Amino acid sequence: MTKAPLLACRDVVRTFAVRRGLFGRKRSLLAVDGVTLSVERGQVLALVGESGSGKTTLARMLLGLVPPSAGTILFDGEPLDAVDRRVLTRRVQPVFQDPYSSLNPRRTVARIVAFPLEIHGIGTADERRRRVADLLDMVGLPARVTHSHPHQLSGGQRQRVAIARALAINPDLLICDEPTSALDISVQAQILNLLQSLRADLGLTYVLISHDLAVVDHMADRVAVMYLGRIVEEGPAERVLRAPRHPYTRALLASELTPDPTLGLPDPGLSGEFPDPLDPPAGCRFHPRCPMASDVCRREPPAVRTDGDGRAECHFAA
Amino acid sequence: MTMPLLEVEGLRVTIDGPAGTLRAVDGVGFSVGRGETLCLVGESGCGKSLTALAAMRLLPRAARMTADRLAFDGLDLTSLPERALADLRGRRMAMIFQDPMTALNPVHTVGDQLVEVFDRHRLGSRAEGRDRAVRLLERTGVRPAAERMGQYPHQLSGGLRQRVMIAMALMGDPELLIADEPTTALDVTIQAQILRLLRELQREFALGLLLITHNLGIVARVADRVAVMYAGRVVETGTPSEVLGDPRHPYTRGLLSCLPGAGRGPRGSRLGAIPGVVPSLVGPVDGCLFRNRCGEAEADCATTAAEAPRTLAPGRIVRCLKAGVTA
Ligand SMILES: Nc1ncnc2c1ncn2[C@@H]1O[C@H](COP(=O)(O)OP(=O)(O)OP(=O)(O)O)[C@@H](O)[C@H]1O
Ligand SMILES: Nc1ncnc2c1ncn2[C@@H]1O[C@H](COP(=O)(O)OP(=O)(O)OP(=O)(O)O)[C@@H](O)[C@H]1O
Ligand SMILES: [Mg+2]
Ligand SMILES: [Mg+2]
Repeated sequence: MTKAPLLACRDVVRTFAVRRGLFGRKRSLLAVDGVTLSVERGQVLALVGESGSGKTTLARMLLGLVPPSAGTILFDGEPLDAVDRRVLTRRVQPVFQDPYSSLNPRRTVARIVAFPLEIHGIGTADERRRRVADLLDMVGLPARVTHSHPHQLSGGQRQRVAIARALAINPDLLICDEPTSALDISVQAQILNLLQSLRADLGLTYVLISHDLAVVDHMADRVAVMYLGRIVEEGPAERVLRAPRHPYTRALLASELTPDPTLGLPDPGLSGEFPDPLDPPAGCRFHPRCPMASDVCRREPPAVRTDGDGRAECHFAA
Repeated sequence: MTMPLLEVEGLRVTIDGPAGTLRAVDGVGFSVGRGETLCLVGESGCGKSLTALAAMRLLPRAARMTADRLAFDGLDLTSLPERALADLRGRRMAMIFQDPMTALNPVHTVGDQLVEVFDRHRLGSRAEGRDRAVRLLERTGVRPAAERMGQYPHQLSGGLRQRVMIAMALMGDPELLIADEPTTALDVTIQAQILRLLRELQREFALGLLLITHNLGIVARVADRVAVMYAGRVVETGTPSEVLGDPRHPYTRGLLSCLPGAGRGPRGSRLGAIPGVVPSLVGPVDGCLFRNRCGEAEADCATTAAEAPRTLAPGRIVRCLKAGVTA
């Protein structure tokens, strides 16, 4: 029996208008350019890729916070814009990349974490208080911070408040944008262990955006790699991370900083300039930086090449 | 011997709260020389950012600070008037803040904020300021720089914002750069590029770098020296090979065991974690503050002597009774 994936998007596009100066010509920035993806129940899909490649924009669309300019998103088989907002926020929770701006500065930690419970009318005041205490404990925050305001917390403490809030109402799907990048590795280990056990116990599904390939390797079932608005490679984690088919994926893996003091800074062998999203290169997006670019790469955008359970957008993908 | 660029000795930061006084930073000392990179690592909430803010004399109002010595290029930062501090900040010493929104003003464009640093310190004409801003945005990969200059912070991705902050900190050609988690929002290819840029600046201009990071990969690859903090104190210092290769403090060893990494068990297996939590730093504390989480703790660890720094070799200091014993 095949069940619809929990989340599926097809040819999703998002553009932003950008102008040069006050009176400049409006130009269109393609933040997400034709993304097709699906996330199965209970699965962890990791989204990695270039900074500015559209990961957060995609996440915001999956959360229903930003409408796509084109394409469709299905949540549990239903078009996302047809799903009742209350139901959606009950079942899908975000952990945003920037814990500074996503926490209300005027609320205490206790109120921030209890807020989703209040909105959805879950529990009595007393039960909510206990739940908040449990959640803070789960993410490793000291009871001392319960009545603190966000500005009184360290960066990592704020991020843990955001995670506690997202977990408060037991969502089905958690969309985590760099959930542990503000945390030291001992707290990170604690949070990752927590996410793993929630997954095992409650069957939670995750979309995990992360720059940390070791975290991705540890958590993900599938990995999607983004570059300039497109998914350039996608497949089972084991394959994408051990036998990458796209040269950008290989460059990412080569740039990872393992904690080995005998090694210096890596050179991923990417030539050329940083990409310009207002003026994406013709042909393959990646060709100006690609060590294996040839004429066909400059001329023609590569088609998707599927291979078993994986796909890559490269003229030379085996 | 030349004078270090930044000298910190016996730095204490306390914050009064409803429950009492929090000893957030409790006798921290280190120095950063010209052209040198010191990495500061440690548990979330252990006082790294407050230490950095204290060095910039930018602590939040609620915080109180004392120090046996806090000096930049021989200038006593504790007694310098605010005017002189404002002259230093952004010019001779600059900071990349952990919180991008502290440094970036949401209602001004990226370009205006970068050029403002230039104007404030009268470093040249507006046109020169714009040129420099565009050049630094290009070098940090914020492209297309001209269009990005006209954008507002909320229109940028997390990593672009972080690179704008890096560019902003470099506008005044600082001698000392304090960077608080400067690359957390960057993918690893750009992270490597930014770290290489910082290293070039170090070679060209002998930039001193105090780098706060929890990324042990960065520590291993760029630090000259490392200081590990726990509960407001520096518990271990040394070179990256010493600290990562032969950690002598149980906290450092615990930290290393938390690294997710290939070959350390199957995907999804439980990661090593340090059991327990940091003790409350409100009110009086004594002895080693890690002892409640330490597998090797014994009765003596509760004594004041337990947390005395032990020097194993020059620059190799460990605050643990058993520091001399190899693990
Ligand atoms: N509100 C907006 N207005 C204009 N441009 C925007 C807006 N939001 C995002 N963008 C642009 O869209 C592109 C993709 O941004 P996005 O935040 O999705 O990237 P990202 O992959 O999450 O990057 P990072 O890893 O740096 O967080 C960037 O060029 C960004 O500047
Ligand atoms: N303005 C403030 N008011 C009250 N307490 C504060 C304030 N700023 C920081 N603290 C507390 O001081 C301690 C140290 O904070 P600091 O920001 O220096 O931690 P950190 O080591 O930088 O942590 P992280 O790695 O999570 O950023 C924390 O326990 C924090 O809750
Ligand atoms: Mg992002
Ligand atoms: Mg901090």
